[in-house]
Amino acid sequence: MKFFSFFLLILAFNIFGADEFSCGSIECDDFTVNISNNAELQSGLSTYMNYCYGCHSLQYSRYKRVAEDLDIPIDLYIENLIYDGSKPGELMKISLSKEDAINWLGAYPPDLTLEARVRKPEWIYTYLRSYYLDSSRPYGVNNLVYKNVSMPHVLEDLQTSLTEEDFDRVISDLTNFLVYVSDPSARERKQMGVYVLLFLLLFTSFAFLLYREYKKELK
Amino acid sequence: MLQWINSRFPITDLVERHLSKYPAPTNLNFWYLFGFLLIIVLVMQILTGLWLMMNYTNTAEEAFSSVEYIMRDVEYGWLLRYLHAAGASAFFVLIYLHMFRGMMYGSYQKPRELIWLGGWVTYVLLCAEGFTGYVLPWGQMSFWAAQVIISLLGSIPFIGEDLATWVRGDYLISGITLSRLFAFHVVLLPIMLIAVVFFHILALHEIGSNNPDGIDIKKHVDDDGVPLDSKPFYPYDITHDVYALGVFLIFFCAIVFFFPGGGGYILETVNFEPANPLSTPEHIVPSWYYTPYYAMLRAVDFSLFGLTAKFLGFVTMAAGIAIFAALPWLDRSPVKSIRYKGIYSKIFLAGFVVSFFVLGYLGLVPPTEIKNILAKVFTIIYFSYFLLMPIYTRLEKCKPVPERVPT
Repeated sequence: MKFFSFFLLILAFNIFGADEFSCGSIECDDFTVNISNNAELQSGLSTYMNYCYGCHSLQYSRYKRVAEDLDIPIDLYIENLIYDGSKPGELMKISLSKEDAINWLGAYPPDLTLEARVRKPEWIYTYLRSYYLDSSRPYGVNNLVYKNVSMPHVLEDLQTSLTEEDFDRVISDLTNFLVYVSDPSARERKQMGVYVLLFLLLFTSFAFLLYREYKKELK
Repeated sequence: MLQWINSRFPITDLVERHLSKYPAPTNLNFWYLFGFLLIIVLVMQILTGLWLMMNYTNTAEEAFSSVEYIMRDVEYGWLLRYLHAAGASAFFVLIYLHMFRGMMYGSYQKPRELIWLGGWVTYVLLCAEGFTGYVLPWGQMSFWAAQVIISLLGSIPFIGEDLATWVRGDYLISGITLSRLFAFHVVLLPIMLIAVVFFHILALHEIGSNNPDGIDIKKHVDDDGVPLDSKPFYPYDITHDVYALGVFLIFFCAIVFFFPGGGGYILETVNFEPANPLSTPEHIVPSWYYTPYYAMLRAVDFSLFGLTAKFLGFVTMAAGIAIFAALPWLDRSPVKSIRYKGIYSKIFLAGFVVSFFVLGYLGLVPPTEIKNILAKVFTIIYFSYFLLMPIYTRLEKCKPVPERVPT
């Protein structure tokens, strides 16, 4: 019987086992999401605004919300991170037009507000660190995770000037920022969840005691 | 005051008959908690839905961003949305358990056929409610699931294509389809759902609850006509139900607050991309609660008598849902509960449960040749539980049912 169940298990794995890589042509690198460190998220935001935001909007998010959540003084934020004179309450839209983008890049760079929900954070982390030189491509680079990607290697300067460890940290902060912005209420939600569950445990304990008392009465 | 009302509308009598003094069998167990929980979830869905609707925009241009507006700019909007989305999954978990209880203890048998049918209509309406709600966020999966499901109608011979166009209101899924599904989701279906659930409970309270032994407790009553093997709902059942509610909410809130996406089973990751008619997702899957039927649809890949495979698959899938309604007339057993039924009933019920889970899994994953054969085999097992029931329930030897509830 034991042998038979073992056999079934092997069979099940052979039938149902996945055989694709988790990140394009390679396995995803390990990445642990941490959205509790504001300094890291601020660094991620700064990288995003300086390197990504020219092409990739965060159109469902508002400047002010990000400033408040990440504990950035609003004056400082307006001065350094809002480039087009938008009001802090406005959505983070970019000025790149669809026509220009298609003329210059061949495709419209997608909005990234929800990217960390569409793709896994490990994917983003691995993808941004997997550019390689490929002279057959228009920008001279290709990517192991996203084959024939149309995005140039925007972070090339950083990758060549920083140590590998520092560059990985920049990408890690950037990924964490994208995770934060994809679900900005997550931190508040988890805090609230602890209280909700504590209350429910208490409530259920009393409900159980009451139920037990009445059950005794029946016998 | 109460007397004044009672002489005009017998409210005390009504409350006592349906709630406080409703005689529930003494041997009700764990499986009898889900009806109560379903009512709670129904109320929760109506309330969260109402508040979501205050901020949602039902146009193709605005739907997706209005959902993100709810998630980000509306106070506790994220909570409303996560509760509503997880609530939909919870609704199906609970209704499947509730239905299984009925099948296990023969609650559909005479004289409870209408209660069972009411429940079945509720389930069908819930499937429609789930589908229409799924389209509203107008993400990639919303769009393509609507495309796949509505195009199934197109497989009906002769009238199919016209029917599909009529239902869509357009030649393709469009904003017109979105706003009509929205109207169904928030007005038509909930009204029908509430009416049918009301009937379901009313009918139950007139006939009385079945129990795990399938004993007719009304045969032995005291001088007041109250069954001897019963206890009043208040306080004995309500305390059990409230305790169950606590346990349920612990699980439910753990998901809502810590895993609101449910690993892609409550909120699909692909659905965080806005609907794009020009790009089909690699792998279209319906919500987990439809996947057993989706697997049946895909299992039928052959045409027969000039009917297309798609149409036959659609019929099989619809039959998989419809056949529950025939259960009261398929079961020829002299006893109700699985506890006293014979070995065949147990084997076939087990086969049904296994096939439901296996088909559910097969509907989630991309098809392969072996998986397709498995889907065919388990579709046959699924239907054999129903179709062979008139035979095996008559052939098997049942145990005698005791007169009174054993203590």
